[in-house]
Amino acid sequence: MSFIHRSLSKAVADLGAPRLRVEGASKRFGGLMVFDGLSFDIPPGGVLGVIGPNGAGKTTLINVICGMLSLTAGSIHMGDRDITSKPFHVVSRLGLARSFQQTNTYSRVSVEENLYRAQRFGAQRIGAANKGPDLGIAGLLEAFGLSGHLQERSDKLPYGLQKMLGLVMVLATRPRILLLDEPAAGLERRERTQVDRFVEHAQTILGCSVLIVEHDMDLVRRLCPRIMVLDAGRLIAEGAPDEVLARQDVIDAYLGPSEEPNHAEP
Amino acid sequence: MTADRHRDIKLDSWSVVSLLSLVVLPLVTTNPIVNSLAYQVAIGISAAMAIYIMLRLGLLSFMVPAFMAVGGYAGAILAKAGATNLLLLMLVAFIVPALAAIPLGALVLRLKGIYFIFVTFLFNEMLQLILFETPSLTGGSNGISAVPPASFLGWSLDTPKALVLVTGLVCLIASVTTLMVTQYFRAEFTSIEENETLTESLGVAVWKYRTIGFVASSGVAGLAGFALVNMLSTAHPSSFASWSVNSYIAYAFVGGRGTMLGMVVGSLLLIAMTNEFAAYAQLSVGLYGILLLVVMMALPGGIVGTCIDYFENFKARSAGNLKPATNER
Amino acid sequence: MESVISAGVIGLSLGTQYALISIGFTLIFGIMGVVNFAHGGFYILGGYFAFTLTHTFGLPFSVALILAALATGAVGCLIEIVFVEKYVADHLATMLITLAIYQIMITGITLLYGAEPVQFRFPVKGSFHGSGFYIPYASMIVSGVCAVAIIAVYYLVYKTRYGIALRAMADDGQVARAQGIAPVMMFPLAFGIATALAGLTGALVTPILALEPTGGEAVLGKAFIIVILGGLGSITGAMISAFVVGLIEAYTSVYLGGSRGALALLALVVLILLVRPQGILGTVARRA
Repeated sequence: MSFIHRSLSKAVADLGAPRLRVEGASKRFGGLMVFDGLSFDIPPGGVLGVIGPNGAGKTTLINVICGMLSLTAGSIHMGDRDITSKPFHVVSRLGLARSFQQTNTYSRVSVEENLYRAQRFGAQRIGAANKGPDLGIAGLLEAFGLSGHLQERSDKLPYGLQKMLGLVMVLATRPRILLLDEPAAGLERRERTQVDRFVEHAQTILGCSVLIVEHDMDLVRRLCPRIMVLDAGRLIAEGAPDEVLARQDVIDAYLGPSEEPNHAEP
Repeated sequence: MTADRHRDIKLDSWSVVSLLSLVVLPLVTTNPIVNSLAYQVAIGISAAMAIYIMLRLGLLSFMVPAFMAVGGYAGAILAKAGATNLLLLMLVAFIVPALAAIPLGALVLRLKGIYFIFVTFLFNEMLQLILFETPSLTGGSNGISAVPPASFLGWSLDTPKALVLVTGLVCLIASVTTLMVTQYFRAEFTSIEENETLTESLGVAVWKYRTIGFVASSGVAGLAGFALVNMLSTAHPSSFASWSVNSYIAYAFVGGRGTMLGMVVGSLLLIAMTNEFAAYAQLSVGLYGILLLVVMMALPGGIVGTCIDYFENFKARSAGNLKPATNER
Repeated sequence: MESVISAGVIGLSLGTQYALISIGFTLIFGIMGVVNFAHGGFYILGGYFAFTLTHTFGLPFSVALILAALATGAVGCLIEIVFVEKYVADHLATMLITLAIYQIMITGITLLYGAEPVQFRFPVKGSFHGSGFYIPYASMIVSGVCAVAIIAVYYLVYKTRYGIALRAMADDGQVARAQGIAPVMMFPLAFGIATALAGLTGALVTPILALEPTGGEAVLGKAFIIVILGGLGSITGAMISAFVVGLIEAYTSVYLGGSRGALALLALVVLILLVRPQGILGTVARRA
């Protein structure tokens, strides 16, 4: 697609994308306070990176925003809509979708069946976006090397392919806001640019705003004009990656780059 | 449509078609042994279908006898009150348990796995007690006897032949209902069973589909109960004892839990066996146990499942393709 | 007033019996993730073992009791090794496998002893007469033996190395294995202990009630109720709720009449389960 075409479609898509606003979010599990009074927002079409050492509460943050877990206090808004206490599946139907850190596909059936289901379920999307533009899934399958494997059982695919399949499936719900939980985890170095491709695609075709939780700093630098650093549930820094990553307190929080998650994890 | 779904729809549809034989059988033969087998199998298959629907959602419902009782007694009460139209009775036998299943489902479907099984098991016990405690409505421990048989267009279908035919018809309807529900919602049910979180993340209201399955399962069970009561002209608590569910579970798992054909095969095989060993009635329970054990430990797909796997491997190998085909079970 | 005391005594006696049955059941579930649908079968098996030992071999009741419990435990151990071991932690599989085993057991018993109840009588007759109430000596003995057994189980699970190892296995099998605790005989032994407890209870109670092949059916339902109330996997919870259930059952059958009381109890259990699915003391020891 030409540059002009791309920016035009992005502009058009942007008009629909809602702003994600998180205000005063707190999450407690019994005696454990995971995060307290967290506030941030993502402008329509924006990309926000969330980094921080393990245990900082990043995955819990995603779980809470998408509705898998409830907030102890605070609110979450999608545009004007308050989605704080809406159930997981409703939030998805409203256009806020998430991916999972581990591969998450229907492992017992074929790639083709996985896509069929994603599209069938995604059609329950609330809103005019139902009749939106072609999602370009065929192109993505080609780019990620999945087109040759359509009849294969998804759990027989290499890890990287399963991961990308999972991402493509999320797209079928026509999200406006994407929460990506460590999309590059378990991918080989050379496979990681596929995540870039995916995010770019989502932004261009659907005008998605994206929140990316990641450990791969190169990827974060490439994709996120803004990042947030969480440490033990507190927001300790926010801003452009180069600035933030140079800060001493951020470096201290990490004590060096964190370990890559294992491929072999179930 | 992927190959698996195509094959499974075909199998399920053919198994429903095969049930027409149950309806036709009493018309072509007066052999009492065959007819007795036919009606027992018809009732067994209907009950197994109720179990099958819930199995598609990954849940083993022990409540089938309870819903059978609700449907059976509802039909009996209505028939005794004078309304014996077959269609009406079938409708009532389906709807009353289905309605009951809505609030019960809201309570029970929140529970997962073994908790679900425990509670549905306990509900069966509760129903037995409720039957005993409501003699004015249900005849208490004596049940309701002399239930008039269903009639149609003025014909009282009370000859032995007609009774078997009605039972076969009910079985057919129960199976068609099962086919419709499990095929239409196949993607949702299977996805919920396999990976509930993923399914929710894609926007599916899981509770809704669980409820649909539970309601359908209870309606189908109600039909089975009605068939039983109609056949015996009696509605009695002992027909719906909690432990009767073990037989239906045995039919389902030995036959093959993955397809409707499995329900048919399992019921046919086990009931035929019980009849063969009629002299050793007590043995049949032990025999079911042995078969169930063998299936659980060696042939998890049951008879039909194992055959399907065998054929798939055979096909794949003769196509020169050493990889076994994908299978959805 | 007398009926209150009588009912209370009955309730406590029931409580000890139910405790013995449910502790075994919850032990297996909590530690091995095995749902033992054959539990009632082991209960009645204990009864039949005791019956044979006293009637056919003429052994004194007390000896028969112990041997019956051991024999039942041995059978349980064997069954675990042959059939159950591979499916530990798979609730559905173990449930169906033990269900099948239950059916086979009952058929076997019916073939050997017939379907009719056999004459198995408690050796001690008579009752203790308090001011206006009776306590049969049989009940007292049964409660006493059960109480001793419960204490023994507590000691085993909480004080011995084996018990600690077992509980470690329940918490984190991988870590326990890494510490060098070999599970090879641990699970069969645990299963054996649980079934021995069921068998002991059967041997004690069936002479008072009745000994017939279907006598174990009600046991499973009781165990479910008690274990759900007390929390699957919690031994203390099972014990407490066993007494709660025993007392409720005794009082409701005296004051409300048999089935209404049972109905009330079941309704109560279902209600509790919906409000607090983990039961009184339950933890999510194993994912349901």
